[in-house]
Amino acid sequence: MNNALEFRISASYGKTEVLHSVAGTIAPGEIVALAGLSGSGKSTLALALLRLLHYRGGSVTGSITVEGRELTGLSESAMRSVRGKLIGYVPQSPGTALNERLKVRTLLEETWSAHAEGAGSFGALLESVQLPGDQVFLNKRAGELSTGQGQRLLIAFGIMHKPAVLLADEPTSALDVITQAAVLKLFAELNQKNGTAMLFISHDLLSVASISHRVDILHEGKIVESGPPGKIFSAPEHPFTRSLVDAMPRRMD
Amino acid sequence: MRRKLASAILILVALCALFAPAIAPFDYDRQFRESPHAAAGGQFLMGTDNLGRDRFSRLVYATRISIVLAPAAAAVSVLLALMLSRFSSLTTLCLSLPWIFLFIIMRALLPLDTGPFASILLTFALMGVAGWAWPARIFNASIRQIRQSGWLLQARASGMPSRRIALIHVWPHLRAIAVAQFRVLVPAYILSEASLGLIGLGVAEPLPSWGNLLAELQRPQAVSANPWILAPLGLLMLVMICLEEVSA
Amino acid sequence: MRFFALICPCLWFCSVASAAELRFGLSGDPKTFDPLHVLDDNSEVVRYLTAGVLVRVNRVTDKVEPELAESYKLSPDGRAITFKLRPNLKFSDGTPLNASDVARTLNTALDPKQASPKGDTFRTDQGVPVAKVNSPLEITIRYPAPKPDLERLFDALSIIPVKAEKIPSSAGPFFVSEYRPGESIRLTRNPYYFQKPALDSIRLDIQPNKDIELTRFLRGELHFINKLDPESFDRVAKEKPAAARNLGASLDSDLLWFNQAPSSSVPEWKHKWFTSTAFRHAISESIHRDDIARLVFRGHAHPAAGPVSPANKFWFNAQLKPLPYDAAAASKALASEGFKLTGGVLKDRDGHPVEFSLITNAGNRPREAMAAVIQDDLKKIGIRVNIVTLEMGSLIERIARTAQYEACLLSFTSVEINPTEQMNVWLSSGAQHAWWPLQKTPGTQWEARIDKLQMSMASEPSQALRKKAFDEFQQLVVEQEPIIYLVNQDHLSAISPALKGTQPVAAPPQILWNVGQLRLE
Repeated sequence: MNNALEFRISASYGKTEVLHSVAGTIAPGEIVALAGLSGSGKSTLALALLRLLHYRGGSVTGSITVEGRELTGLSESAMRSVRGKLIGYVPQSPGTALNERLKVRTLLEETWSAHAEGAGSFGALLESVQLPGDQVFLNKRAGELSTGQGQRLLIAFGIMHKPAVLLADEPTSALDVITQAAVLKLFAELNQKNGTAMLFISHDLLSVASISHRVDILHEGKIVESGPPGKIFSAPEHPFTRSLVDAMPRRMD
Repeated sequence: MRRKLASAILILVALCALFAPAIAPFDYDRQFRESPHAAAGGQFLMGTDNLGRDRFSRLVYATRISIVLAPAAAAVSVLLALMLSRFSSLTTLCLSLPWIFLFIIMRALLPLDTGPFASILLTFALMGVAGWAWPARIFNASIRQIRQSGWLLQARASGMPSRRIALIHVWPHLRAIAVAQFRVLVPAYILSEASLGLIGLGVAEPLPSWGNLLAELQRPQAVSANPWILAPLGLLMLVMICLEEVSA
Repeated sequence: MRFFALICPCLWFCSVASAAELRFGLSGDPKTFDPLHVLDDNSEVVRYLTAGVLVRVNRVTDKVEPELAESYKLSPDGRAITFKLRPNLKFSDGTPLNASDVARTLNTALDPKQASPKGDTFRTDQGVPVAKVNSPLEITIRYPAPKPDLERLFDALSIIPVKAEKIPSSAGPFFVSEYRPGESIRLTRNPYYFQKPALDSIRLDIQPNKDIELTRFLRGELHFINKLDPESFDRVAKEKPAAARNLGASLDSDLLWFNQAPSSSVPEWKHKWFTSTAFRHAISESIHRDDIARLVFRGHAHPAAGPVSPANKFWFNAQLKPLPYDAAAASKALASEGFKLTGGVLKDRDGHPVEFSLITNAGNRPREAMAAVIQDDLKKIGIRVNIVTLEMGSLIERIARTAQYEACLLSFTSVEINPTEQMNVWLSSGAQHAWWPLQKTPGTQWEARIDKLQMSMASEPSQALRKKAFDEFQQLVVEQEPIIYLVNQDHLSAISPALKGTQPVAAPPQILWNVGQLRLE
């Protein structure tokens, strides 16, 4: 069986390479956390995998395969049918990632009709991300939602078409601690229910590690260490991993 | 409620303009030479001008011209701005052009037998075409902002087709700017028409327009003699306030 | 509020002035204080008030009166004039003034390097005059050929001092004692002048805004306003009836003409109308001149009788009367020329509807109103007029260079009463021969005749013969109407009752011409 996602890519802005042959493999149903400090190229990686980096002025070389299908070299319109369908994406900070002028209903419908015919029904979907599905909510403008609601809505968009792999770029960074925990729990549930493979991109090693099967450490555009969370925490090998683990708050046990 | 009232006023003004011949008691160019500078009341609702022409009739016909042409010109400018705003160097070039001289040259090239209506049509068309750079600059800045926005990236990541993104996501932002620019341009064009009259563009005698009626206000003494000279200004302000209210 | 704070101290300052100080407004800074290089109106006002001239033309009697010269004598051949100066004349700085100063002034004016506009008035086709100083108090100026009205030229020649300064000392009744650019000019009485004027000083406030000038006059801060528009004049008449002074018809004429140049872009059938005297006359007769005077100028204008304003009392041909409005007669005359009125539209013999465009300069509201009256008048006889206002530059371009126009509405302004002043308009070879400029040979017999009359007016020594030629010329213009004269606007002034001794005239410098006699009460 093919992996959900396999990649080996380099990315650069102009002459500056920011990702140096970063490679990763995510098996179906696996949750991988990609941790690194901000500036290490985390967000670049997410956009590169979606082949959207050129909108931010960057370029990508290498190989990306989703369920065995090679994405590099696909036309923009072919990529369009991959984005949101094969690869779901949950961006960070709903405050900017949601168009505040549009209604929740419109956003849902548009995301739906990007890859499906006919009218979508969103009751079950919204329920699965613990959002209300009533008319009042659907008629709200995105600008009127709370940050937690917004983030849940973005997750709903990401999983709407049951993608093979879900890219989540700092999906909890804009949330308070309690909501953070709830959202992470939600990801874990979705993973169990749908078997969706997930790539978590985060600077917060501790929070994502709790739901990940494997952790990759990204440092200065390279993956410096990879392994199950238990091993990473207990026996980090790379000096950078060690410093990252040392910086984490210790549990009182 | 206020919105309704504003729409009602705008509709009323538009109807007046549409049915000008039925509403105006006299032709706009009829000279009652025995009654120049007549006071308001009696035969002449707002009095007469120096040539004995009925001010009310002239205002009604002027409304017909200005209320159709100024918004049309503003719409042309905004549309052009939307289409051309991506060429930012063209915008800058256009902003730095000495338009007044171009207008003078344009007028000089125009045949002399251009009738008054064709002349005013052309004037507003010129303003519409020439005025695109100002809104374009604003669109340009805003489009640059939109390009960098997270929501545009999210929409792309969700696989929405570009056209759909432009229509559903981007247009509401541009529309708000377009409406605001339109509201700024309408009165600007109404007044510019009056100043273009100084270089021979704009409305020629005997056709009335808000612009050339407003030009009478240059003589403050005249206003104390017949306050109805202010009527075009009042009407202009009323229409602008109502437009603001309706499009808010 | 800031505006008031700025202006109030200034007004206060203005109102505390000495009793015998005349105050009035100037529309802008004078471009020069050099009397020989004056071109603009504001400089001319200062020049006139500071001018020491040999003789002065009395603007009321039109007689030449002695000033710095106590007498003059013309030679019998009309070529020379001898002035005898008053003894002990001095400039305002105390330096003496004698006949050699007069000779030096004239020679400076005539010096081609100076390019003095004053010098031009002394030049003739036959050459320039030569000045000979006979004694410190006597000078003879001799022309190579007879020069009509020779003595009058010296009314405008201010004698200049040796020392060339930006603000030179003056030989006249006043000298410039203070100049604040953009603010004011103060003239003080010249202590060495041979006569003592009643005024101690004159303050000219530089005030470009006409409305502010009027407000200040009405508040009593200015003693007169030389020229008012009809609307402002009516306001003065209402608020200060004693101050409103209509000086009667001015020398200026409002007029229109048709383009008769054969090389123009005018279609051939229109050219036929425009060159037809009967057509021009019918147009002239269909224009309601009284209505123009009454409506456009609020009654402060008079229907024009011909090319010379009646204000020019001596040269005006008194036989001429304004053409009365008679649309019926005009229609009849047009019918006999083959024009037909069908369905309210006048058509010529070949069926061309009679319509033309009338150009005038943009931004002149009275002129635009005048055009609207003409448009309405001609509509009544079935002629459609399309009014086109053009910016002045492109208007001049059309009338003077490209000849791309059909009819033009404009005015001629005169500053002098001299009949040869408009020679550049009337000579068929002239660049400003409005309806058909720069003709190689006169296109019509009557134009040839006008050329001849103009030439004789410029060289004929006998005033009576010159007057006769000028009368015939005026008669001819009225008959042929190459230019259709419409109205002469009145010269409207406001003069405070406190200012005594005024004898205002309609020609420049209207109120100020007898500044020596003006006094304040």
